[in-house]
Amino acid sequence: MNESKPMASNSENSIPSRLEAQSARWRRPLGMALGVLCIVYGWAVVSAPIDSSQGVIQKILYIHPPLAYGAYLGFIITGFAGVVFLVRGREDLDRLAIASAEVGVIFCTLMLVTGPIWARGTWGVWWSWDARLTVTLLLWFVYLAYLLLRSFSGRNPRTARFAAVYGVVGLVLIPLNYYVIEIFGSRSMHPENLERGSLGDGMGLPFLLGNLTLALAFFYLVLLRWQVESERALDDAIDTDGAHREGQAMRRGQSPGPPDAAEESPEEMTR
Amino acid sequence: MNVALAILWKDLVSEWRSRDRVIAMLLFSTLVAVVFFFALPGLRPEELRALTPGLLWTAYLFASLLGLNRSFALELENDALAGLALAPGNRGWIFLGKATANWVLISIVQILTAGVFALFYRVDLSPALPGLAAVVGLGTVGICAAGTLLAAMAVRTGFREVLLPILLLPALFPILAGAVEGSLAALAGNPVPFNALQLLIVIDGVYLIVAFLGFDYVLDE
Repeated sequence: MNESKPMASNSENSIPSRLEAQSARWRRPLGMALGVLCIVYGWAVVSAPIDSSQGVIQKILYIHPPLAYGAYLGFIITGFAGVVFLVRGREDLDRLAIASAEVGVIFCTLMLVTGPIWARGTWGVWWSWDARLTVTLLLWFVYLAYLLLRSFSGRNPRTARFAAVYGVVGLVLIPLNYYVIEIFGSRSMHPENLERGSLGDGMGLPFLLGNLTLALAFFYLVLLRWQVESERALDDAIDTDGAHREGQAMRRGQSPGPPDAAEESPEEMTR
Repeated sequence: MNVALAILWKDLVSEWRSRDRVIAMLLFSTLVAVVFFFALPGLRPEELRALTPGLLWTAYLFASLLGLNRSFALELENDALAGLALAPGNRGWIFLGKATANWVLISIVQILTAGVFALFYRVDLSPALPGLAAVVGLGTVGICAAGTLLAAMAVRTGFREVLLPILLLPALFPILAGAVEGSLAALAGNPVPFNALQLLIVIDGVYLIVAFLGFDYVLDE
């Protein structure tokens, strides 16, 4: 049975799917907006006032909390996309799940790097089993486990199913870990003044720009990685189709070679 | 349900005939108890006793990993896993049968391991038995639920011995937190805190549902 995907159609299981094709159109405008925002954001961070008590290390505030969007949203998208893939067989959403996990793990890693740098400067220690730090670390392990499962199992439908099921386990773990920390966790060492909205003068704009820029960066990177995954899937489908044609030719006693219109069987021509 | 009972009976009978999994897990957890002794030199007996709940649960976790890996490695022989996948009805019942068998076997090992720890670290477990039994029983339900699902996945990749701990341990941290908290209270002679039991019950419920529903996709051929 020929499993090759129709390349011109934009149905759900074609490569790229309708959703992938529509999403890909947003990549360029998003990239251009991101480029401009990065310049403005960089200028805002450099020109922001230096905190009187924490010093220049306080400027990690403009990077560290906004990374949380990508870190958590990454796995939420991975989990839900995996569920729809399992239930509806949407392979394009499986590709989105991979993209979202890979980008999310980068944001999570950066959170775990910038956080201790800030902690060393303000609390005097590189690490503390603070509630939010602990939950972020556990999320990072879930990400890594998901990506290792994908990597160790090869690219095939079984791997996609396994990863989707593990994505659900990871999705469930996020609120569970918060629940655990709430019950047994220690007092949070993270500053609470952000929630009360009392940033110092001149700090509001770079913080807002940080949130906007890193959120846009997350979506841009996910779209980019999604497109790469879609092109890999298309290459795999072409290779599978080519190998199938070779196999058919060999069974008919012909020499395997590139498909030629004059040599195609009547069945293939009418497909 | 009949499928679950049949699978449970099959696994228990096969383990009774060979006894290899239980013996291996028990030996491993005994060795872990000895490793902890050498890894924590210079501690007074009462300090070592205070660490017992955490050390005990560490031994339980690692022994469970061994047993869970083996529970599906057996099914790879003679393509038995394909046979399981062809069983009629919802594959979630196959999960329930396997998970229950794992719970029984791991519980046996846990009881014996607790005896080993009581001996090595001079801990009197008798006043703590009811509370400890409840915490260990509930914690092991969660370990077996998540572990059976993930072992079924890991065994069909090329790196099953490495992959199962990587997949399973992040899922077990919440169980560990609640179980150690409950065990600490039980061994101190206090009633097990309700929030620890509540946490374990919630996690068990969530993992059982996810694993029951997800097993259909994991065992799909």
